[in-house]
Amino acid sequence: MLFRQAGVFHTNYAADRALFPIAADRWMIGILLIIGLAAPFVVNSLYLSSYLLPLLVWTAGALGLNLILGWAGQFHLGYAAVMGIGAYATVHANKAGIPWEIAILIGGATASIIGIGFAFAALRVKGLYLALSTLALQFVMDWTISHVPAISGGTQATLQAPDIRLLGQPITSDAGLYYVAFVWCILVTSFMLNLRRTALGRALVAVREKDFAAAVIGVNSFYFKLVAFATSSFIGGVTGAILIGTFYHAVTPEQFSVDVSIQALAMVIVGGLGSIIGSYFGAAFILLMPGAMNSLISWAAIRFGFSLSIETLAHLPQALYGALIIGFLLVEPLGLGKIYKNVRDYLLVWPFGYVKK
Amino acid sequence: MLAGHPVRYCNANPSSDGLAGSSRSTVSTCISNAARSSAWSARTGAARPPSPTPITGFYPPQRGRILLNGRDITGLAPHYIATLGVARTFQNLALFNGMSVLDNILLGRHIHMKPSVARTALYWWLGRRDETANRAAVEEVIEFLQLEGVRDELVDVIPIGLKKRVELARALAAEPSFLVLDEPMAGMNQEEKEYMARFILDARDERGVTVLLIEHHMDVITGICDRMLALNYGAMIGSGIPADVIADPRVVEAYIGGAHGAH
Repeated sequence: MLFRQAGVFHTNYAADRALFPIAADRWMIGILLIIGLAAPFVVNSLYLSSYLLPLLVWTAGALGLNLILGWAGQFHLGYAAVMGIGAYATVHANKAGIPWEIAILIGGATASIIGIGFAFAALRVKGLYLALSTLALQFVMDWTISHVPAISGGTQATLQAPDIRLLGQPITSDAGLYYVAFVWCILVTSFMLNLRRTALGRALVAVREKDFAAAVIGVNSFYFKLVAFATSSFIGGVTGAILIGTFYHAVTPEQFSVDVSIQALAMVIVGGLGSIIGSYFGAAFILLMPGAMNSLISWAAIRFGFSLSIETLAHLPQALYGALIIGFLLVEPLGLGKIYKNVRDYLLVWPFGYVKK
Repeated sequence: MLAGHPVRYCNANPSSDGLAGSSRSTVSTCISNAARSSAWSARTGAARPPSPTPITGFYPPQRGRILLNGRDITGLAPHYIATLGVARTFQNLALFNGMSVLDNILLGRHIHMKPSVARTALYWWLGRRDETANRAAVEEVIEFLQLEGVRDELVDVIPIGLKKRVELARALAAEPSFLVLDEPMAGMNQEEKEYMARFILDARDERGVTVLLIEHHMDVITGICDRMLALNYGAMIGSGIPADVIADPRVVEAYIGGAHGAH
């Protein structure tokens, strides 16, 4: 009813490779973009800057991690470290007088270079061993940042980030900061969408699926793993810098600790490996669900008149949140993105379910 | 030795018979004529000579060198050998699951494309032309191998006969000059075998590909091959025109059995 493939006729190969060949998809994307653009005018500023903005930034981060995890199939348990490198590099470059637009590129490039340097060593091993090596990156970065005063500004220090300036204009309003995050998220998303239809994306999937078969058709696995690490680290670095610039306004080592790496990993896995819309769902789930659970339980306690001890109130939402993650992954191991795809595939042929797309 | 063949194994350390090495992994003879298909047959049930693996660079031979059109390719990386015009298919299939048939065949064009981050990020300006041109080349192969009906299907869900054809399509999409087919008929029924045999002959005649076929089916070998080389535990026991080779008493003994067991 909503989605119809009948009547979509391509007359050239470029049209066949359009991002959204089905009209219903184009409408939905258009409406979502309009909602995204109009959000600062309709959503109150608390929700805008404490829910929507981090959601967009983290979605970009999750997409960057998805590039290495979902596309190239390489484990990365140190993604927060990469984001941290980008954030610190950007803040220092900005403090040194480099304009913010260029500083975030420096941040991304620094993250990318350190990521490649590390990948050179780490990519000699595969699977769980690679996962552990990337965890080492996390701990090495944690240690370096907190023990080198020139980077962190001293032990236990918080480094104030200068205000974002775009083309010399300071951006301090909630709406302005939101738009910065919005544009970055759109840029990363469009890159990932293009990845699905270009030779680079196919080569990465080939490396993930069967590296010996990839080699036989001329794909240099090691090179493409490096490209994946470099690109993903660049996206992570810039995302880290934008997270600091638009949300935290100050940078400390704890913002990029190992817990944050695990959280990013959870976004990608709950959302779905290799799924773009899944990264949106995953980021939303991981960021918003604990708070939502908390409010739900408090509301239920008042509504149904039972009293909960402070201890229970603190732990129950966490337990439910964990149970939900396990539940979703039991229902659909490929994550929320796959659940969305199942629904969409059902609607594509509804009410003629026997066609089974 | 035959003249004018693209791939030549040279034994640096020839054993008494001058061609075959004693070690099983030393494959040492020349095979295949230009634009001719030839069969490389090994004793059923015995360990097969690892012929495609040294040519495509996975395992370097223990002894000897491999020449491709006179160029020494021994020990080169597999992905580099692919750029020299060597393509192969696998006995047990090595398609990329989770991708469509079209994307699998497009991957065959990898060596003709320039994948890069810039072409992906700026697809509309930098990538589209290249993608479209290569798509046209892929569509030719799809038409050639009659895969139009499954173009957009996930490669995981199509039947094995079609999977083998998709793998052949991926190899042909690279426009190789030398194609190694590792038991392309394995697990196929008679009709699928006939289809595959027709496609191999068409690849040779219309696309000018030299084909090296590793095969156990004698009907296929005698039916479509121009040259045949029979191996027994890595040692060559016969070579020449298929009809002559299969009449060779040594080949008969290796493949069917000798008289010593008869009463």
